[in-house]
Amino acid sequence: MATVMIQEARARVTVGIFADMPDAAAAAPPSEESAAAALEFLAEMSPDLRGAAIVGPEGEVLAATGEERERWGKDAATLFAAADEAEGVAVEQVHIATEQGEVFAIRNAGLAAVSVTDRFALASLMLFDLRSALRRLASPNLGPPGGTQPRKGEA
Amino acid sequence: MPAKPHRILLDRVSAYADEAAAFMRRRRVARRPFARLYYPHGRSADHAQDSRAGAELFVAAGRLIEVAGEKPKR
Repeated sequence: MATVMIQEARARVTVGIFADMPDAAAAAPPSEESAAAALEFLAEMSPDLRGAAIVGPEGEVLAATGEERERWGKDAATLFAAADEAEGVAVEQVHIATEQGEVFAIRNAGLAAVSVTDRFALASLMLFDLRSALRRLASPNLGPPGGTQPRKGEA
Repeated sequence: MPAKPHRILLDRVSAYADEAAAFMRRRRVARRPFARLYYPHGRSADHAQDSRAGAELFVAAGRLIEVAGEKPKR
């Protein structure tokens, strides 16, 4: 009972907090260069990562690992379509664990990110990294990936 | 003679570490494939592999795993 009340309070209170965050929609789609940089940073941060892609608002692939760039876009769209269809509601995040590996997908600010990792990757960390990568792409004023802002006096 | 206090502390910490290691081992052995979807406001739902929605999700995930290929050597 107490847990239910806490969950309700959390939903009630955090809705206001998240409504103030610059997540609602990206003003303009990020450049392919910044998406590639975000992907590179993600690969650096996640030792379990096998591959990943960032997809723009129109379903275009902004950055992807490997050679089959267009296939990432097509397969990510298929995954989100299947996920949305499951309950008839748009999903925010997807986590599928199989014997061959794990798939994570997230939508944020009109962008989408999909990643494939080895088995038993830490789901919360992977989803957090994907979400923060998308947030930084959607809001360039948050700074480059990794949060390293140029210091005073640096070009 | 009673054990030295720091020995008791070390034994306690080792016991917790052993428990955690055993939990992780059991998890690796026992974990089955799953498809979990997260909706706004923190709600989540699991879909079994033999359900229609679950089967579609696993097929889509399989394709993505295929595209990703092997882990790049670093």
